[in-house]
Amino acid sequence: MYDENKRGLIAKVIGPKRQWREYRARVRRLPDNYRATVEAIERYLMHFGSMDGNNATALFEDVADLFEAAAADGTPIRAIVGDDPVEFVEALIRNYDAGGYVARERARLTRAIGLAAGDASPAGDDEPSR
Amino acid sequence: MGKQITEMLKGTLEGIVLAILSARPAYGYEITARLREQGFTDIAEGTVYALLIRFEQKGLVDVQKVASDKGPPRKVYSLNAQGRDYLDEFWKTWVFLADRLARLHEGGK
Repeated sequence: MYDENKRGLIAKVIGPKRQWREYRARVRRLPDNYRATVEAIERYLMHFGSMDGNNATALFEDVADLFEAAAADGTPIRAIVGDDPVEFVEALIRNYDAGGYVARERARLTRAIGLAAGDASPAGDDEPSR
Repeated sequence: MGKQITEMLKGTLEGIVLAILSARPAYGYEITARLREQGFTDIAEGTVYALLIRFEQKGLVDVQKVASDKGPPRKVYSLNAQGRDYLDEFWKTWVFLADRLARLHEGGK
């Protein structure tokens, strides 16, 4: 059942199936504790990553690159993710612009306040970058 | 104290990593090791990696893939002209901040 839900989400979030399968295969080849770490990050990204499909794919590939190298070097998990895994994953997410409803709502906020503040040409065409 | 340094580092880590790269090209693991040598012991390798991806996207570094005897090829990062300009800007901003903070600090004594 978990898998069913996940597949639905992935179709929306991850886009091209082939890239997703390649990514999953890379994750499966990781040593157990590295794989468990990547899967935990993956779960978090499914919930809180707001980028579009292409960006999501790039982000998952970044994660796979990082942990493949770490596993080969024998870098301890804690040395990679630090004391605060949330902080680390959020830093990764910030590399990619938001997509979907987050991007829409940011643009709407910027536009609405631009109007309220009486700016000559309200910003809003540009998504605020972070 | 521990928390404060973490917060302050967030805004400056970018400049710190660029400064390290300005000495010579390096891959992610080396950069973290050099940070440790410099006394930045609590910085996670993943956080540095996230920054390196950002530098690559912003065009501040050149990236070369180098084969590794163990595991996948490694990305070696070197600062390019745009990266050096960015680092100059960082140092100017840093000097400005340090100067203002020093004045506040003196005034508070």
